[in-house]
Formats: sequence, C-alpha cells, structure tokens
Amino acid sequence: MDDALERPRPQPATSTRDPAEEESSGDEDGGLDWTKLPKIGTVRPVIPKRGEKDFEPVPGGGSGLQAHVLDRSRAAMFDALKADRAISSKSASYGVWYPGISRVHVTVARGIHFSAMGHSAARPTPANDGSTKLQKRLELLPEEAIYLIERGSLFCWKDIQADLVGLGDVEGAPMSVQQAFAEMVGKEDLTLEKYQVFAYLRRLGYMVTRTDAPSPSYPVPPPRLANDAVPSSFFRRLTSLFSLFETKLFGFLRGTSNWRRPLRISRWIHHDKSYGKVFKSLRFMPSGHSVAPKSSCTLPVAPSSPYEIFYNLYKPSTNFRKTSPPQPDFQIVVVNARAAFVPSLYELTQLFDVLPETPPPLPRKRTTPAKVQPSPAAAIAPPAHASTFRRIFSWLLPSLTPPPTSPQYRPNPFAALKAGKKNIVIAAVDSGNISFFRFSQGAFEEWPTL
Amino acid sequence: MSLVNPTSRSKASSKPSARRAETARIYAHPLPIIFPEPTYTFLGLSLTRPLNPHCTALLDPITRSAWVENSGDAAILWQRGFFGKGDLSRSEPSWLARQINARKMKGKGLTSEEITAKRRAERKQFKLDRAKAMAAAAAEAEVAFKEEGRVIAPGIAPDGTRIIPSAATWKPTSISVPSEESPPDDTPDELREEIEPIQDLEHLQLSLQEAFFLVWALDCLTVLHPETNEPLTLAEIWNAFQNAHMSSLAPLLALPPPRFDNPFLVSYIAYHHYRSLGWVVKSGVKFCVDYLLYKRGPVFQHAEFAIVVIPVYEDPQDQANSPFKLQNAEPFTWSWLSTINRVNSQVQKTLILSYITIPAESRVPSKVLSSPACFAHYSVREVVLRRFIPARMRD
Repeated sequence: MDDALERPRPQPATSTRDPAEEESSGDEDGGLDWTKLPKIGTVRPVIPKRGEKDFEPVPGGGSGLQAHVLDRSRAAMFDALKADRAISSKSASYGVWYPGISRVHVTVARGIHFSAMGHSAARPTPANDGSTKLQKRLELLPEEAIYLIERGSLFCWKDIQADLVGLGDVEGAPMSVQQAFAEMVGKEDLTLEKYQVFAYLRRLGYMVTRTDAPSPSYPVPPPRLANDAVPSSFFRRLTSLFSLFETKLFGFLRGTSNWRRPLRISRWIHHDKSYGKVFKSLRFMPSGHSVAPKSSCTLPVAPSSPYEIFYNLYKPSTNFRKTSPPQPDFQIVVVNARAAFVPSLYELTQLFDVLPETPPPLPRKRTTPAKVQPSPAAAIAPPAHASTFRRIFSWLLPSLTPPPTSPQYRPNPFAALKAGKKNIVIAAVDSGNISFFRFSQGAFEEWPTL
Repeated sequence: MSLVNPTSRSKASSKPSARRAETARIYAHPLPIIFPEPTYTFLGLSLTRPLNPHCTALLDPITRSAWVENSGDAAILWQRGFFGKGDLSRSEPSWLARQINARKMKGKGLTSEEITAKRRAERKQFKLDRAKAMAAAAAEAEVAFKEEGRVIAPGIAPDGTRIIPSAATWKPTSISVPSEESPPDDTPDELREEIEPIQDLEHLQLSLQEAFFLVWALDCLTVLHPETNEPLTLAEIWNAFQNAHMSSLAPLLALPPPRFDNPFLVSYIAYHHYRSLGWVVKSGVKFCVDYLLYKRGPVFQHAEFAIVVIPVYEDPQDQANSPFKLQNAEPFTWSWLSTINRVNSQVQKTLILSYITIPAESRVPSKVLSSPACFAHYSVREVVLRRFIPARMRD
C-alpha cells in the first residue's frame, strides 16, 4: 500500500456525520460525492457527505454532460486526497511498548484520549540511587495502543532492553503502524477481530473497556449484587405457593387433568367461561429462561467456545471515570464469523447467566397522562398468576399489600417483548466487516396477548 | 373485512371506521368456541354452556393437511381464530367470491388477491412513467450542456420543483374508476341465480399442527379417515400425524417409532405454545421462518414477530441416531442468520429464535410418547434477535 495514504488523519471522524445521515443505513450504500466538499478541503481534510447518483449510463457511451460531471467529481476527490494530513507536535503522545508485559508505557500523555483509555499500574522502576521501587505509571492495552498509533496520536518505541531513563535516550524511529499491528495483535487475548470492533466503536465515541481485568490494576466495574435485590421475595414465594394451591384446587373442581382432553371448562364456574381462561388453561408447556435447559452432557458448552464476553461498552454520553467505571451499557462478544457458528442455546444461556436483567422499556411520553385503568389484575400483566391471591390478600390485610405499580408506566407489551430481559451484543466479524447482533432473552410467556 | 360473507360485502363501500367495526364484529371470537352471555349468574356460577361448533375435516396424508370441505365449517374456522387457508387463495378462502366478482365485472368489493394484482399493475405503470420522465430530463440537460454549456441538474425544473414523479405523489390515470351509479347491491344476487351458479371448488386446508390443536386442545374438530371416511380417534390421529412425517410408505395408522424428535411433535410444541399465549400463528415460509405471530389476526394488523423454530437435542447422541434431519438443528452460520434477519427487518418483523428442547431418551421413558402427555417434557425458550447499530445508539 502507498505509504502516503497510511499517514494518520488528525481529524476525529465522529464530528463530520450529521444526524440525518445516521438515519440512513450507515456505511452500506453509495459512494462519496466529492464535489460537495467545502473548498477548504485542501487545508483540512473533511469526510464529504454522500450525494445522489446523478445519472445512469446511456446506451452508446457517455455523453458530453456526463463526462463533464465525472471529471469534476474526480478532480474534487483528488483535491481532497491531496490535503496534507498532519498532527501538531503539541498534541502527540509518546510511549514505549514492552512485549514482555504486553503493555505500552505512556511517557508523555497528551490529548483527550486518555480520559477514556489507559490505566495506571505500579511497576518496579529503577530509582536514582540504584534501587528499584514500585511506581505508578500510565499504561495502555495493545488495542488502545494500536488505535492511538493508527490515528497518529501516539509515537511508540519498542523496548529494546536499553536503559530508558528519559525520552532522549530512546534511539531509532518509532514503530510504524504495520509494526504495531504485527507486534501487538495476538498479545493479551487481542485478536484482529477484537481490535476492529474496538476501533470502530471508539471512532463512534463509545468508551470500550475489557470485561475481565487483564491485570489486577485494571479498573473494572464493581461486581453486581448477587441477589438482584428483590425486596418482596417472601411475598413472591408466598404468592407462588398460593398459586400452586389455587391450580390444584381448581384442578380438583374441574376434574383431574387429562392428557386426552386438556381443555376443561367447568360447567358451573362462570369465571371459566372466557377466552382468557381457555388460553390460560392451555399453557402447560414448560417455557421461559427461568429454568436452565437440561442437557445430558456434563459440559453442554465446550471449553473452547468463543462465546465469552470481552468488552464493556459505554455510550458516549456516559459520565465515565476510568478509575471507577460504572456498570456498562452493553457487553460485547466478538467472534470470527467464518470460524464460529451462531451460539447454541447452551452458550446463550451461559452468557445470559452473568448478565443483569434490564427493566422493560418505558412507554413513550404522551402529552396527556394515560388513563388509570381500574382493574389491577389487568394492569399488572407480567406475574400472571398473582392476581387471585393478591385480591384476597389485599381484602384481608389491606395495609400489608404493596401498592400496585402505577399503570401509567405499564410498558407496551410489544416493546417489552422486543427488548427482552437480558441483552448481549455479539459482533460477528468477517474479514473486517462487522455485523452487530443483539440477542435478548425473550419472555413471551410473561406477556400473553389474551 | 371478510369478502365471503355477503353482508360485509354490501357494506364494504362505507367509511373506514365503519368497515373496521364490521371487521371487528366478524372476527370477534379468537377461538371457534363461543361463550354466550350468561342469562343468570349466582355466586360466580352460571349454567350457560359454551357453544362448540364441531367441524369436520378429511385427513390428506400426502399433502400433510386436513381438508375442511364444508364451506360453513371453513368460514367458522377462518373467522374464529384464523385457522387454515383456502387451497385456491392466499389465505382466506375467497375463490368463490373472486369468481362471482369476475362474473359481475365491476371493481367493487375486490378480494385481497385482486387488490394486490391491481396495485402491482399500477406500480409497474409508475415505474415506466418515471423512467420515461428521467430519460426526458436527461436528454434535456444534455441539450442544454451541448448548446449553451450550462450544467443543469436533470429532473429539476427552473423553479426548483422536481419533474420526475415520486412514488408518494404519482396517481394512476388510466385505471378506470368504478362508477358510483352502479345498480344496487341486491341485483347481483338475483343475477347470480339466473345464470348458472358457481360451484365452490375450494376447501380450507388445515396444517397438521392446526388440526391437532383444534382436535386435541379445543375439541372442536373431527378428523375423518381419508379412505373410509370414518372419524378417527385421538390415538389414531396421534399416530397418523406423526406418520405423516415419516417416509410415505408407512401405513397411516401404524404405531410410529417412539421418537421425541418427530417433526410433527417439535413443530406442534411451538405452534401450541404461541397459540396458548393468544397469538394467531400462521406459516412463515415466505419470510424464511417457521411461523408468523399476529396480534389479533392477519386482517387486523401485520405480523409482529417471525419465529424460527430451533430444535435443541438434550442428548447429542439422540441427534446422531435420528432418522430425521430436523431443520435448524445443526448450528446456524452467521450468513444464514443475517439472511433471515435481513428479510424480516425489511418487512418490519422482529426475528425470534424459538428453541425447543427435545428430551433425552435416556432421561424420559419413551412410553410417554404414546399420548400427548409427552409435551410436558419439552420446553420452549425464546431469544429475540435484532441488529445492533452502534451509530444510532450513541445517546
């Protein structure tokens, strides 16, 4: 490849996209309309907006007009590419790559990147009196280092076991981008696919950190509370016990359940004679993710499975402090799309097991407040079994029952079904093309339509 | 809106709200069973009996379907729960209505197939018009460049308006509008009897899953033997429906080999699961998937979810020994997943991977397979799949 094209660009790529463009289908269609470039393009390169295709080829070759328009576009493109891509020496950072520990020690940190990248680690450093003592220093993971080197923000030398006291002592040229890729990909679990995902998300402004700390000094979010804080667990257990009793009792009234004829409509109980009851009585197949799928293998997921969460992802708007990162917005698995199949149920279950449950999405804000629905049993749809018990219980002990959740915030069932309960993002990378999929734990059994 | 029911057709020209109310009235019942309003309730007890229509269908093992040939039964099964499809129609059995329409030769009360055909013809005309306008605009721009050296954007008039027709504003011109002064609606009915009446050649075909749901879960269908026309017992149906997926040589009512991964059982689990949650479940083969889920039914709104049934063997050994090659049991490639997801996001449906676990033969004794009691050993888990687009999720 031409070396001139490899030179880094100083411009953060994120600033040139406008919201209207993001609504379109992303990087997938159309080329760039270079003629729409502003005339300052020769000073500072800017990524142009896309334009419409002007014409279709005419049978019998191009016409004078077409040739003219093409020439104009081509000239604009060359003008844009001709621009010098330079970086101010004041915003360049400097570092040293230590292959032995797979880290880049940042000796001079400049620019905004270090608010979201790099961590401090204590390393034995030779002091002036000849002894060594632990000293904290700023270090970069391989993906962070490649990213900064690739975009021209970091000049990185390779540690050559020389006595490095100051920057002046380092000899030779900094690592080239090619050398950085060759040396750093493969270190500290970094694959090319993982780097490509990292770089893509960083360029969009996301904060990307490792899920599992590669070293003890790497800051990770605090562990989540194990029992997800269910205040009404006693209440819930009582409820489920009662609902079991209720099913047994009604089963007795209706006659024992019969696999030859599963639908039992009691001739007497008026409550039975509705479609809701009919559908409910047909729901006897085990469903949902609350129980792990059975397997006759001791290890349903092979130890070599690539489905392990690798990155934590924070939206650009997150108030992110890299020394104490919050719980991530998304967690990402990166796989090679050609080498891995879509995850099996067992692999997905294993991923979901470590993920937190997200609350159902709130309905869109309306101008007028939603009407309060009178029937609490209809309003609180998800724990479909609790209604009878709750009614009796609230009648007996009105003060003890928790107030029903405000129906105003009842989520739209379609939105709740689509959002799922737990989310994992899987990035399937096929030689540089990344497709992100979100796999969510569905909960159809909690949202019956009738 | 039903096109088979004559009362609805006569009102079809009224306002959209009235039409919607009419649709809601025709399809008021989500299941063939009807619960009449109780005349008298006392302490939560009532004596009204649910009305069960008791329809009849003929099993056709070759097409793996059950045929409802009585048009009254077919209408009941379609209007109350959207079961089956007409064998000569896209969904609702509307062949007879189409024939009558064709005979009347007027554009009123079109069936959905006819509406689609009309829309396609208009769309084709629009594309021709647009191509013509674009070619004309390009030629004009070419002339302007050659003669005056001006570069004008083709397709845009000097005052800035677009000349090229857009799909949003283009109107068909040549399509004849049905005149409002057509004779009143009662004449065709007389005419129909004067001319030789059309015999309804269409039947409603139920998939085996639908038929079994109606027979077993709702008890409102009787399935007849294809040769003897005798009603089949539940045990015979149980065997016959499983045999339908074996090689065609197996005798109809023979005992099927006891296998938990019989394709009928696996697909029935998924069908029953979503039916029992109140969804209307239709085939999704046109969208690369197994089932489509409609909220109330296809006449009310488009399908919201597309279900891919993925069988999961609890014991990989069972899969290795299986005589069936269950679809989607082998792991998916990412390209196939993308394919399915692209197709379905194009039509605004959310893709659901529905994992059905198949009990291990070593865990569950195979004698439970002699009756539907085996369903309790399967399980269903959904995974919702969507594309994640980081560029649009930034805030």
